[in-house]
Amino acid sequence: MRSRLGALMALAVMLVAPLQVAMTPTAAAQDAKEISMWLDTTGGSETADCMIATAIDPFNASGAGVTVKATLQANGWDATRTALAGGAGPDIVGTPGPSFVMQLALAGQLAALDDYAAEYGWNDRFAAGSLELGMADGKLYSIPSEIETLVLYYNRTLFEQNGWEPPTTLDDLMTLAETVDAAGIIPFAHANSEWRPANEWFVGEFLNHSAGGPQKVYDALTGKAKWTDPDFVAAIEMLNQMQQNGWFGGGLDRYYTGTFAEVGSMFGAGEAAMKIEGSWYVSDTPQHFGAEAGNENEWAWVPMPSVSGDAIFDIGIGSTFSINANSANPDAAAKFLDFWFSPENQSKLLVDCALVPAPVNLEGQDLTGVNPGLTEILAAMNKAFAANNYGYTTWTFWPPATETYLIEEIERVWAGEITAEEYLQGHQEKFDQEREEGAVPPIPAR
Amino acid sequence: MQETITLHPPLVQGHSADRRRAFVRRKVVPWLFVLPILLINVAVVAGPALSSVYYSMTKWNGIGAPEWVGLENFRTLAVDPGFRHAFLNNVIWLAMFLTIPIAMALIAASLLAPVRRGALFFRMMLFIPYVLPSVISAALWRGLLSPDRGIPAFLTDMGVPGFDKAFLGDPKTVLPAIGFVDNWHWWGFLMVLFLASMQNIPPDLYESARLDGANRWQEFRDVTLPGIRPTVVFMVLMTTIWSFLTFDYIWILTQGGPARASEVLSVLVFKEAFRNFNAGYAAAIGLTMSFFVGCVIAVFQVLRRRGWEI
Amino acid sequence: MSTLIRPRRRDTSLAPNYIVLILLLAFAIGPLLVLTFNSLKTQAELGQNPLGPPRSLVWENFPKAWEIGNFATTTRNSSILVVGTILGVLVLGGMAAYSLAKLDLPGSGALTLYLLIGTSLPLQLYLVPLFFTWQKLGLVNNLFGLILIYIATNAPFAIFLLRSYMLQLPRDFEDAARVDGASEWQIFTGIVVPLSWPGFLTVGLVVALSVWNEFLLATVFLTEQELFTVVTSYFNFATRFSRDWTMTSAAAIMMILPVVVIFLALQRRFIEGLTQGGIKG
Repeated sequence: MRSRLGALMALAVMLVAPLQVAMTPTAAAQDAKEISMWLDTTGGSETADCMIATAIDPFNASGAGVTVKATLQANGWDATRTALAGGAGPDIVGTPGPSFVMQLALAGQLAALDDYAAEYGWNDRFAAGSLELGMADGKLYSIPSEIETLVLYYNRTLFEQNGWEPPTTLDDLMTLAETVDAAGIIPFAHANSEWRPANEWFVGEFLNHSAGGPQKVYDALTGKAKWTDPDFVAAIEMLNQMQQNGWFGGGLDRYYTGTFAEVGSMFGAGEAAMKIEGSWYVSDTPQHFGAEAGNENEWAWVPMPSVSGDAIFDIGIGSTFSINANSANPDAAAKFLDFWFSPENQSKLLVDCALVPAPVNLEGQDLTGVNPGLTEILAAMNKAFAANNYGYTTWTFWPPATETYLIEEIERVWAGEITAEEYLQGHQEKFDQEREEGAVPPIPAR
Repeated sequence: MQETITLHPPLVQGHSADRRRAFVRRKVVPWLFVLPILLINVAVVAGPALSSVYYSMTKWNGIGAPEWVGLENFRTLAVDPGFRHAFLNNVIWLAMFLTIPIAMALIAASLLAPVRRGALFFRMMLFIPYVLPSVISAALWRGLLSPDRGIPAFLTDMGVPGFDKAFLGDPKTVLPAIGFVDNWHWWGFLMVLFLASMQNIPPDLYESARLDGANRWQEFRDVTLPGIRPTVVFMVLMTTIWSFLTFDYIWILTQGGPARASEVLSVLVFKEAFRNFNAGYAAAIGLTMSFFVGCVIAVFQVLRRRGWEI
Repeated sequence: MSTLIRPRRRDTSLAPNYIVLILLLAFAIGPLLVLTFNSLKTQAELGQNPLGPPRSLVWENFPKAWEIGNFATTTRNSSILVVGTILGVLVLGGMAAYSLAKLDLPGSGALTLYLLIGTSLPLQLYLVPLFFTWQKLGLVNNLFGLILIYIATNAPFAIFLLRSYMLQLPRDFEDAARVDGASEWQIFTGIVVPLSWPGFLTVGLVVALSVWNEFLLATVFLTEQELFTVVTSYFNFATRFSRDWTMTSAAAIMMILPVVVIFLALQRRFIEGLTQGGIKG
């Protein structure tokens, strides 16, 4: 018996020993400087593989003297945060958005990019104001990678069959939803069970598209107005009314338990009529509309209606890139970032991998093959951005704890536990607290 | 458990070498058996855990330098209605898991123990839900509990009233519904533990019970249950500890919603630490959780001192 | 009551056992049936028909999931982690359990309190300091480093469960061996371990599953592609806010299989344990 246990232990050692040898990092003896980059799982491994094949492999082969080692991380943000706090981590640091950048930057984990921005002329390349989103304490720490907005998608076939017109004002939207509901069709294909923060899409849209418009949101974000403003209260009450009417996914309980695949199928099949969602939804539409989904329906989109009827596009950032403060090769990392955010590379990623581009000018790039819906939405968004007619998504411009509050407590409004005023009052308190701590991400001047 | 007389190794008086050997055998050898794993555990858990005591007294975003604030986090916690609410949900969870799964597992194990034909098949199949990663079992049950396509839809069609709603989407039913899903994957595991323990019961105890004319229930009460008591009591203790830590299924199914109705302490810790960048406050909540658990363990220790063999 | 009629009584009285067990079986494996259905559907069909049997069988999901999930590599890594952790926990944890159950360990109360309070701390709380230490020791991105962590985190439960099994063992054998001059190590390996086989098997299984499905530590401590574990494979099926559930289901089915195989492989052991120490029909 003793010898058997001994043998087992020896086996354990044998199993482990060769691995340790294998695990010691291979000395970077190559001439090229190797830098590491972690890709998150947004889009899964197919997107990641495509990014590597489309952008990173050609870059490594281009003789720039830099080799990028890209790894898809299942739990990218947790791994990044822990590794950075432990003094390690990849050279190129990705985050889920500006409020996360703020926390890393203030903790001294990120390298300032101002010199590189000057060297490579990034200020001219990126849309005016978009680099400001990556500032903290007056320095540039991150570059916005995916720019996104929300629109109102609708089942065009269903609308044509019923003679419905897509709405432009929020009142139109309410009236239409009533008509749709009366026809036995679910007005909105919404559910949040797989992504609880989907709540903030709606809260954010209604705040920005309220009577005060994005200007009032800007004022509130910069402390010049209160979140308890009657315009905001009216907006939250309208959103609440929609939920109470059971318009989102067929009832509050359904909204809380449905999946994206379920409501998406309902939307495509004409069992649900509309969907307030981000530009990212375009790449899912083939699964819900047309041959692949087993129907002959088509979709279309309009700007998310507003009280005034103006076309307002709320701007959001899906992810950002920075350079690790502990990076041994920050210059090489910057060289790679310059390549990554070149209009050529961004358009290639958009065409080949359906990756929503950074706010760089893609005019003159070959965009054939891109879903026309997506290019339309992006073009309209850029126009709105240039005309200062853009709004603020909560995951880009809100400080973290206030954002959590906004996502969670709205459910208590819907549950009838608190009123819209109480909800916004609490929101104001959280916001004031975080504003005092300097946790509000940069808000570009309007 | 039959009576056994504990015979300690003969303690020979007189020779000091013998006395030393006896001392080594009774005091040193036991620790040598414990030492290797204890060292590993201390390296992994104790050091870092102690640092969380420090973090609980700081304002810390989890990444940068912590700033000392003394007991402020604990003062905030004492008046935080969210904390009290979450704690209460943990207690409800504890009540559910101390009863239903343990009862199911005891029944199934005692029914399965005497079965020979198909024993392995049943054991394997009842255990398999425990094998699935929580993301997958949670997603499965989200579908099965759907009021439009799942089992409730079927029951509604059959004319059974009260099932035309999403149990996971209603603040009043969400916590038991998640408990139901978690238990689906959990109870089979308990059963396997109890079954393994039942195999250690000497068969002659059953023989004699039968000779005494015991029926099934008496057999279970007088032989099986006392025989597996150490395991049952241990699992009661672990259930208590784990009920304070429960996270997976709640996080995946509802993230504490709707309207915070299923929020438990660990969800609060997670949100504070990783969503809100309040790692210091999260540490304070976590330590408070550990304090409750410590109290439970202390009660068990006292019972042990009183001679309960657990 | 005569011993003569006993076997007969047992046999007939098993019918209710089977009835209840079959009901429980339906509860346990019904959802697994749905999982199997879903693993054979297309994404589009899954949206319209999330529970019923597939209209046509999409077997390609399996090889595709295997490849996209990179399971060839991740299964190997997870297996190494599982085997290493099981060996560590069973050998070292078994020793500790023996000491607690049979050797009247002085200070056992304090040790129990320490180990259990350790398990009650949420892992997230000490992730950063632990990572920092492991980074300094060169144990990050190292399977052995992660095995050490798993041994530590799985140890308390394993120790106390094994202890509870060992407590049931009658002391007669050990005491006889002690009188014969056997060392504690000889008693442990020669008497207590063989008698607690069912306990060791069960603990091994529990530890194996907890390691196999562990997510947070595996994704934070192993960030090199070659070292990824099975749970990371599931994330390769992610879509923006959801995931491809057909692929995920196919992967899950494939991941259940090793456990079934282990069960079957250990069949002899389980039955042995049954007849050796256990209830005889």
